[in-house]
Amino acid sequence: MCAHGKTTAPGGPTRRKVLLTALATGVGVASARILGLRNLDASESLSSLVDTMNMSMATGVAELPDEYDAMFGVPDDSYAAQDFLDASNLPRTKPVALPPVDVRPAVALQLPVSGIASPKLAGDVDWVSPLPKESAKVTHLLRRATFGATEVELDRALSEGFARTVERLIESPFVEPPVFPAPAAPRPSASPSMTPRASASARPSPSASAKPSASAAPSMAAGAASPSPSAPAVLTNTTSINIGNLQGWWLDWMTKSPTPFAERMTLFWHGHFTSDYRKVGTNSPAIYWQNLTWRRMALGDLRSMLLKVTPDLAMLRYLDLAASTGRAPNENYARELLELFTMGVGSYTEDDVKAAAKALAGWRLPMRTEPTAQTGIFDARRAFTGAVTFLGKTGTFNTESVVDTILANDATAPFIVRHLVTSFVTPSPSDTYVARLADRFRRSRYDTKTLMRDIFTSPEFVAPETFRSLIKSPTDFMISAAKALGATNLSGTIRQYGSTLGQNMFDPPSVAGWGEGASWISSNTMLQRANFVTAAIGALRTTPSAARAHERHLDSVLAQGTVNELNLARDDKSRWFAVFASPEFQLK
Amino acid sequence: MGATDLSRLSRRDFLRNGFVFGAGAAGLAAGYAAVPDVFARAVYGGKLDGVMNDRVLVMIQLAGGADGLQTVIPLQDPKLRALRPQLSQAANSALPLDASFGLNRSMRGVKALWDQGKVAIVHGVGYPQPNYSHFDSIRIWETGDPMRRQQDGWLGKTIAANYDSAGHPLVGCACGSSEIPGALRDLDATLSVINGQNTFKFNGADADRAMGVIYNGTPGIYGALFDTSVFSARDTMARLRLAREKYTPRAAYNDNVNLVYSSRNQLASALQLAAQLIISGVGAKILHVTLGGFDTHDQQLARLDSLMGYVDGAISAFHADLAAYGMSDRVLIATWSEFGRRAAETANGGTDHGAAAPMFLIGDTVKGGFYGEAPSLGALDRGGSLKYTVDFRQVYQEILESHLRVDSQEVLGKAFERIPAVRTA
Repeated sequence: MCAHGKTTAPGGPTRRKVLLTALATGVGVASARILGLRNLDASESLSSLVDTMNMSMATGVAELPDEYDAMFGVPDDSYAAQDFLDASNLPRTKPVALPPVDVRPAVALQLPVSGIASPKLAGDVDWVSPLPKESAKVTHLLRRATFGATEVELDRALSEGFARTVERLIESPFVEPPVFPAPAAPRPSASPSMTPRASASARPSPSASAKPSASAAPSMAAGAASPSPSAPAVLTNTTSINIGNLQGWWLDWMTKSPTPFAERMTLFWHGHFTSDYRKVGTNSPAIYWQNLTWRRMALGDLRSMLLKVTPDLAMLRYLDLAASTGRAPNENYARELLELFTMGVGSYTEDDVKAAAKALAGWRLPMRTEPTAQTGIFDARRAFTGAVTFLGKTGTFNTESVVDTILANDATAPFIVRHLVTSFVTPSPSDTYVARLADRFRRSRYDTKTLMRDIFTSPEFVAPETFRSLIKSPTDFMISAAKALGATNLSGTIRQYGSTLGQNMFDPPSVAGWGEGASWISSNTMLQRANFVTAAIGALRTTPSAARAHERHLDSVLAQGTVNELNLARDDKSRWFAVFASPEFQLK
Repeated sequence: MGATDLSRLSRRDFLRNGFVFGAGAAGLAAGYAAVPDVFARAVYGGKLDGVMNDRVLVMIQLAGGADGLQTVIPLQDPKLRALRPQLSQAANSALPLDASFGLNRSMRGVKALWDQGKVAIVHGVGYPQPNYSHFDSIRIWETGDPMRRQQDGWLGKTIAANYDSAGHPLVGCACGSSEIPGALRDLDATLSVINGQNTFKFNGADADRAMGVIYNGTPGIYGALFDTSVFSARDTMARLRLAREKYTPRAAYNDNVNLVYSSRNQLASALQLAAQLIISGVGAKILHVTLGGFDTHDQQLARLDSLMGYVDGAISAFHADLAAYGMSDRVLIATWSEFGRRAAETANGGTDHGAAAPMFLIGDTVKGGFYGEAPSLGALDRGGSLKYTVDFRQVYQEILESHLRVDSQEVLGKAFERIPAVRTA
């Protein structure tokens, strides 16, 4: 995520680094692309480039000298012609023995736009942005603010247009997911779910090899359509739940929710204010309640959020605030509150962490005599009573005044904004863009709804550089494929491949949540992304026509390789495979 | 792998030759196919001449917190019986290593290797201010950073700094796992995860070909990353096919073990996959396997004995297999666990999370024997755990410097006092 070391660095992989990777591997890919450039003496620049590479690799330095920036900085307007974006000459009917089509590869040079830091290698070789077109703005928005779109959702948004779709996404009250069903006979677990020992198993994830539950999805589907008349048994904090079913429950709702923006935001906050079911308690409903809480607060103000996050049951366990007392403060939550949740490393001191740990102490978990409590309980006897100095202020603090002091700090708004912007807009936002949004965010009293509207309506959101500048997370990728297919029975497959691809719900790799961008891509994940596509398509009795899939889901901006494979595909399933397995579809 | 001369080629030569072979648009379009496999394999060794060697490291994670006192058992210390009335029975049937310590009775294979001088046991490995959370302590061991400020794994960093993983994705590989273990994680390293060699493949009949067509000159800032990853996946599949042809096991690997509580992992088959990757010469350098089930809060006596028997059988077969192929002198096996367990047993015959525990280094290049000082049962820390006497990074340093022969400070941030458990000559 955007908190630690390398992953904090603005921007994903730089062009340089990526080129180097390819060159280190073999020359085919990168040099083929370089040769594709016009206005460049290919052979000469290649050999000089390689000499540079040789030098830098011999010394382990992965930087190109600055003159190469200039070399690549030659804009080539002829590549950016509008007609290039139109791939309507691709066949629309079922492609049997298609004639070869001439679609020029999506390679062009672009000028930087204000608001987004120019790439390190200026004038990048990049996809041609179709974002000047209204329809492309709409699909761009749906990819990022939601999880792609079904045909119906896509048609609706296209007819509404970009501005109205933004308003609808932001202003529609979110729809609650169906109630997660309590087990038929709630049994008090032998090792209660809230005890540390039961939760702390480091054994491999049960979900990793478990088969998807066949029974969970249909019952939840019924709940989704309309609130079930027979209310499910109430979960208490002594109830055992099945985490695999819970994962399927959320994935199912991401696919079906009529308000997918709420699910997108919930997933964002799940990665930001993260908790891990293993430490929370494998069978504990606390992580389910956290999910409900995060959804309800998702567009609220940051102050209210932090006052919900701090005593959240799952969070109390995950970051040990429940184990913290004024006499023996545990620093875990205090540290991450400052480092990962609000301000970012470097904007506070170790003494601030110690002070916050004292000031926040006092929360405890419900006891067995309080089974219906869904949030932590403050016990003044556990709290710290003396004065501390926190972020420059000395006095007696409680949770509220700690939060207020954090919100009064200049680091907080930019930190939150930067995380949102790197997730929704660009891997490399400029400082001025962040500052502009952060200023309004703070003046709106940290209103997240205002911030999200500002983000989506900012020119930067639809600037050419942002087109396909983000890599879909596994969840993004799989849900958007399911929605494009109109499939609602894939949550088991999605859960299974979530494990393979590195994104299990409620199971982030660390307290920093999930990584972003390039960290999603490896040989293993590309192989398994392709296998997910095979499994998803194979799970459907029939697939919808794929004749227009490249227009509807890839904006008709296609790499030559994708064009080639689309033309080789002999039926709908092969064509859907090419669409979903393509690099275009891995990006958003 | 028979290409010893080629292994001296630098990456620069590889690139130059790659250009020769790949000259012209047709060759470039064909991409990697234009690069002879022999060159590809020649560079796997490393980015710098000094780290181009044939050494291989296999890390075995004993997940859950493996108890040390029932693994390397004090034979003479009366305090053991006082602290562990039930679990101290293990001393009666221990396999004596010297006058003071005996090995868990299930570890006959490791005992045989000990007798041949191929096992180093490092006493009391841990770190300052022990963390009793599985997650936090695993992260500490994985990142090599007790302050928990690092994100990248120590093995991942080692790979990123020293080896050409982008072109040779099997340089760092997790065997028998579905996820990249934290120790191998690094944004700058390409890593492989092979759950079973039968699952590392495209499931669709046509997917391999289609992916090759699609990922060819992908534009955008991630284009080369995508193309490289898909190339690597297809390349690894081909290498695995090759590896299957070149390898038949020469030892009896057996996962059919009756554990008191079963672990999901298949340790023996994971190590057999590791052996296959090593023996077939497909460029494996740092391999990681995991066995879970060590969180023995109850019934530890029987549980740990059965787990250790499983570990022993898998390691013995692995070493015998490598030896039969004449490759056991290249491979170092090291075990690690996030912590040991509390010195005193609990009422139900188990133990709670503890701190220091021994580490095993096994291989022909090891100088057998004990290293470090065994923590005293009479001087426990405030929580009742054994106090560490050796920092785990001292052992990492020895693995990196003496076995892999890479710069350990680049990974660990500083130098530590040496634990000389690996031969350097």
